[in-house]
Amino acid sequence: MRSKLISLLTAICLFLPCLSLAACKKEPPLEKFSAYSFDYFDTVTTVTGYAEDKEAFDEVANGILAELKEYHRLFTIYHRFEGLENLCTVNELVDGAHRTVKVDERIIDLLLYAKEMYDLTGGHLNIAMGSVLSIWHDYRTEGMNDPISAKLPPMEALRAAAEHTDIEKLVIDEENGTVTITDPKMKLDVGAIAKGYAVERVAQSLEQKDITGYVINVGGNVRTVGAKPDGAGWTVGIENPLDNGEDYLGYLTLSGESLVTSGSYQRYYLVNGERYHHIIHPDTLMPAEGFVSVSILTKHSGKGDALSTALFCMSLEEGQALIESLPDTEAQWVLPDGTIYNSSGWNTYTTEP
Amino acid sequence: MNENSITPPAHSGGNQAFGAGSEKKRRNDLILIGILLAVLVLAGLAFFLLREEGDRVKVTVDGEEYGTYPLSEDTVVEIRTGKDGEELNRLIIRDGKAFVERATCPDGICSNHRPISRDGESIVCLPHKVVITVEQQ
Repeated sequence: MRSKLISLLTAICLFLPCLSLAACKKEPPLEKFSAYSFDYFDTVTTVTGYAEDKEAFDEVANGILAELKEYHRLFTIYHRFEGLENLCTVNELVDGAHRTVKVDERIIDLLLYAKEMYDLTGGHLNIAMGSVLSIWHDYRTEGMNDPISAKLPPMEALRAAAEHTDIEKLVIDEENGTVTITDPKMKLDVGAIAKGYAVERVAQSLEQKDITGYVINVGGNVRTVGAKPDGAGWTVGIENPLDNGEDYLGYLTLSGESLVTSGSYQRYYLVNGERYHHIIHPDTLMPAEGFVSVSILTKHSGKGDALSTALFCMSLEEGQALIESLPDTEAQWVLPDGTIYNSSGWNTYTTEP
Repeated sequence: MNENSITPPAHSGGNQAFGAGSEKKRRNDLILIGILLAVLVLAGLAFFLLREEGDRVKVTVDGEEYGTYPLSEDTVVEIRTGKDGEELNRLIIRDGKAFVERATCPDGICSNHRPISRDGESIVCLPHKVVITVEQQ
């Protein structure tokens, strides 16, 4: 008995140098780096990845940021750029009507994808809601700059704007590469999909170059590109939106998937002490009230982005039915009272930190 | 139900240890076990200490590195941003955790953020373009 103990202890001690050597050996070849930018999609972009040295990392990270910059310039509805047709100029009225605009094919692809997501979500993700959302955007911006006189938008104005949200009035001519909005009072707002879609396209271009071991995070829209160099997945924590002392709701392991969370705690303003967040329900035209956060785990980050907003505006049952009908797509709903619902396959991705 | 009771042990240890001269053998064994355990504990400790040392906090402002600070040392960092450094995020490192105690930004999201200490955790101040991230070597 005792001799067995001794042999075991000796064995462990003999192995120790090997273990520590292995631990040291494992570290060098690739090192972890991060880069940050505040220039795109009105949020923070984080690129994390493993590379041989800083130079090698910077080359990949700068490529990612340069590509994101192009998508930002094409998809933004708030800025126009000299000599560039983008969604801001598509929204513009010239002599009281929208023009037919020849646009970059990346805009055509985004708009086609958004229409696909409209159909998938039964209209809960509708990029034609721009007129309604721009009213909310103006009141929110004003309310944040001048909190004392923060006001809610008048319901009549919202209802009048909601008359002009028919996605069929967005005409896409693939052959000629043009876009026309045929209702002069309609505007596009791609805020619920453009960020995720851009991240997905950038991630795909990395995959095409066989680059792996990177994570792109644009304002909580996380897309992993492959696993870590040692083959392990990336551990991603889901922030706890509830004020109950827990830091995270849980951790997931991702190896090439994306995780997108929509939360009522992320962007909001206060009116008479009440919070009004930025996810507007297409029917009530008010901030959606069913959840404090909805997270989507799926491969395509654009789909995750669209679904997280859409599910935020659906009932739990509707959302569950939709998620369970989709392959390789999982969701987590957090209710205001702290109840958490997970889709059937969610737990296959959960892990410990 | 020891298998030794049915078949004799193949190696020379086991029951023979209780024969003649087992007193001295037992003492040597105990010393050996003691030494081996001590080596294990020390090795474990060294491993632990080495791991601890890697924990640090990196601060970037608009993507540029501002400074790196060990989590193991309590400290206060006044992160100055804006044209003339008029904007402030007051970063506190205490008891191995980092948090923003006070900030001049309008939303206060960074100063409401819970303390961070795990590898990869971060606090972001969008208005000041500040990112505070925990890193591990």
